[in-house]
Amino acid sequence: MPQYLIAIQHPEDYDPSLEGEAMIRDIAALNEEMDAAGARFFAGGLESARHARSLRKQPGGGVSITDGPYLEAKEHVGGFWILDCADLDEALAWGRKAVVACRVPVEVRAFLRIRPKRESPGRGGSA
Amino acid sequence: MPQYLVAGYLPDDFDPSQMDEAVGREIHALNEEMIAAGVRKFACGLGAAKSLRPQSDGGVLVTDGPYLETKEHIGGFWILECADMDEAVAWARKGVAATRGQVEIREIFFVPTPE
Repeated sequence: MPQYLIAIQHPEDYDPSLEGEAMIRDIAALNEEMDAAGARFFAGGLESARHARSLRKQPGGGVSITDGPYLEAKEHVGGFWILDCADLDEALAWGRKAVVACRVPVEVRAFLRIRPKRESPGRGGSA
Repeated sequence: MPQYLVAGYLPDDFDPSQMDEAVGREIHALNEEMIAAGVRKFACGLGAAKSLRPQSDGGVLVTDGPYLETKEHIGGFWILECADMDEAVAWARKGVAATRGQVEIREIFFVPTPE
């Protein structure tokens, strides 16, 4: 079955400690609904983007490591689900529920299934 | 053990069918190394995006394309289980070498915290 990433988008100054009880309940209920439907492969929140480390290749072949997110953007991925869905429509239906539960925009992307000219790296172990 | 997202960034116009065969082999070898070390929970490349935005009337607007208007986007990622950030950085360095790309590491947290 195809897998989809549903990534929630947070402003750069987002503070998860300020999330209200109703929102936490809504997200927990959505996770339970996904589990009951057998759709939820993995879910996790991300530490805020300012705690990210970014690694950039250097012209000499080295790698520079800096604190902070790679993209200079006002919003960053704040958490995500990896879902097993029959098709994009089903993934979008879960995405709509994620927008409502999390009160933020989300992005839905299918995982690539065709890896040309080489063997697929395959799926990782169960999360 | 903590889990980390190691995300690779690609330019908007990246075409996976044009990827060099040596790069594909090196990414495959890195995946094998991660599996052998027992750190790899999940790995994937990502396809085209759709964006969903909450509307003031309670509805949800669905559009084609990525949510952020930037020149680069996450093209794929690993979820790794590592002892600490230093170990995640060591794997991410190999990720930069194998993919010839740029990589970002974020620690993953879970609510509620797993036992």
